[in-house]
Amino acid sequence: MKKKLLLLMLCVVMVASSFAGCSKRAPQKDKASATQDGSSEASKNKKDGEVVKLRMMAYNAESSRATYLKYLAEQLEGIEIEFEFVSTDNFDNVLNAQLQAGEGPDIIEVGGQTKLLASAGYLLDLTEQFFVSNYVEPGILPYTVESKVYATPLQSWYEGIFYNRQIFADNGISVPKTWDEFIQIHKTLAEKGIKAQTMGAQSYEPMMKQSIALVNNMFYSTNASKDYDEKYNNGEVSLAHEWLPAVQEWYKIIEEGCLTEDMLGLSYDQALDEFATGNAAMWESGPWAVSTIMEKNPDLDLGMFPIPGPEADKAGWLVGGPGSAFAINAKSEHIEEALKVLEITATAEAQQALVKDNAGSSFVKGVEVDLGDTYVDCEEAFKEGHVYAPWTAVWINGNAITTGYGKSLQEVLAGSKTVEEALTDADRINDDLRATMQ
Amino acid sequence: MKLEDFMSTKRKDRVYFLMIFPAFLGFVVLFIVPTIMSFIYSVTNWSVYSADIRFVGLDNFKKLFSDKKTITAIQHSIQYAILITVAQNTLAIILAVLLNKKSKVANFVKSVTFLPAVLSIMVVGFLFQYLMTTADGGVFNSIIKFFGGNSVNWLGDKNLALYSILITQVWQWTGWSMVIYIANLKSIDSSLYEAAGMDGANKMQQFFRVTLPLLYPATSFNILMSLIGGMKMFDAVFVMTKGGPGYATETIMTTMIREGFSNGRNAYACAFAVVFFIIVLIFSQVVSFFLNKWEGVIEA
Repeated sequence: MKKKLLLLMLCVVMVASSFAGCSKRAPQKDKASATQDGSSEASKNKKDGEVVKLRMMAYNAESSRATYLKYLAEQLEGIEIEFEFVSTDNFDNVLNAQLQAGEGPDIIEVGGQTKLLASAGYLLDLTEQFFVSNYVEPGILPYTVESKVYATPLQSWYEGIFYNRQIFADNGISVPKTWDEFIQIHKTLAEKGIKAQTMGAQSYEPMMKQSIALVNNMFYSTNASKDYDEKYNNGEVSLAHEWLPAVQEWYKIIEEGCLTEDMLGLSYDQALDEFATGNAAMWESGPWAVSTIMEKNPDLDLGMFPIPGPEADKAGWLVGGPGSAFAINAKSEHIEEALKVLEITATAEAQQALVKDNAGSSFVKGVEVDLGDTYVDCEEAFKEGHVYAPWTAVWINGNAITTGYGKSLQEVLAGSKTVEEALTDADRINDDLRATMQ
Repeated sequence: MKLEDFMSTKRKDRVYFLMIFPAFLGFVVLFIVPTIMSFIYSVTNWSVYSADIRFVGLDNFKKLFSDKKTITAIQHSIQYAILITVAQNTLAIILAVLLNKKSKVANFVKSVTFLPAVLSIMVVGFLFQYLMTTADGGVFNSIIKFFGGNSVNWLGDKNLALYSILITQVWQWTGWSMVIYIANLKSIDSSLYEAAGMDGANKMQQFFRVTLPLLYPATSFNILMSLIGGMKMFDAVFVMTKGGPGYATETIMTTMIREGFSNGRNAYACAFAVVFFIIVLIFSQVVSFFLNKWEGVIEA
């Protein structure tokens, strides 16, 4: 009998342990309730001297935020930031899975997915927070849904063409003013046995962004684009119609053999290596790559120019905008502390710290940023406001559409699709996702 | 099982039942329930961005079968699973037969062949991404160029990329299959070979008439594992090509992850999971049918 009892108890313990193994630790308190003054139950119950750990999930690497994170550590008392980098390829997978499970980081670096997440109720409404007024309106607009603000912007991001000034000077080449001149540079350098442009086209991003820069030049710079992106969100217009002439113009770069199929076998890092080591004269990317480039080749004379359009008298365009921003998980147990981080981020000092590791303009009122000599060829584009990325600025389903569009452009480069088909693919993804949200 | 039946079951059986109960419970909670839930969600509109879940019938399945990209991903998975099963097992059997000897050289080669299996698929993926790159310094292309050949776009050619991934996975897992075949070879009675030799069978005839039929247990296990592993292929593709160029290396799993997690279309991904479940079930049944027939022939 004793043996039976022992056996039964053993089984009960094993069953209980299997449950314990599967379950997460029961919360000590009820979920924090977000209030407009930024307080939360968990935060109010924080004991003096206790360090609160805030999870910050981001798709920009920790090295590109080093100065800013150091500044935060100096300013925050009793709050420790646990920075968690997840690459863009995997960011939405990880974030969506965590948020859907009612968990997720306290602070989220958001971009093109902001409007979707806000509409689904995953992000805290920041509208009434006083620090929101520190930012200029264009910086806040991409993170506003139905007049409510759900994130505050970090520095602007932009992507143009990095070029090796030494190679350009040695071959008597100047910064191109038109798309045709840009293509001609490829031919001139190729004749001299120099690889003009390298591209990590194994990723869907570079061709997608480069072609959209042409769309910026030829479509978003005209009155025809007024309210276009809002209409696109509603499915009233299509890329295959309005964007087609610009993307066909971009396609010349493939027709002329400047972008080649072998680039589909190159990763971002491999293309960066080629450019940094002087094996290619140009590479499309943004300020976040500068520290790695200079680490690999400290002597490189680096410059960046905007992607030119068809007309020489108009400044070229960069792809970019308010880029990424910080939002707070509506279910965070440390909302008060997360708000403190956003409050500090909205100061001039924090903005300068952000810009130090990842050059970009600030959206905080009164903060002047010197971008440095590398970006001197982009000055006119900045002055004209020629920086735009529709998928982060306005589109609701931006990330999914641009991923699909970029993958289809890979098929265009491989010769199995036309640009019109690539744009139609993107439109179809938009339609599918709009249907999913209904 | 009714209570009286349970009480009347032999004491030993009750003990076994109670002992396996925790594991069974885990299996039900972590596999059976999610599988049933996937079937249920596949006929709803469930998404990350929509709180309102409603029944939509077979809409997700209709969309799935009308999407060329999805069909291509299914084709890639089936093609990959069949090819890796054939290549991996053919090579593993050849290696196992050749290395089933008691010698230091054979033991060394066995260890070297098995070594890749202890590496993570992600590590192997990153390694081969650099070996196969089209950039200057890509090892594979440097060797080809050294012998006067032209550079090959291993991972960027839409017609080649899937096979390039396949090569890396055959390299990684052949040693693992080989070890299972060697274990099986050790159990074959040497007197059978002596008898075959006395009957005049040469080495090749001994292989096809004695070795291969008696490798049935290892072959059935390896074939099923390779097929199911091939159908589930995700990590190597994710690391090496991310499904590209375009959709040239997309598989069922990469598409499911993209639609379900990245794009938030949970119900659509569940429908895909149901289709995947059915395909694997059919595959397993077909293979089991032929393996059973083979077993019957051996026993006869």
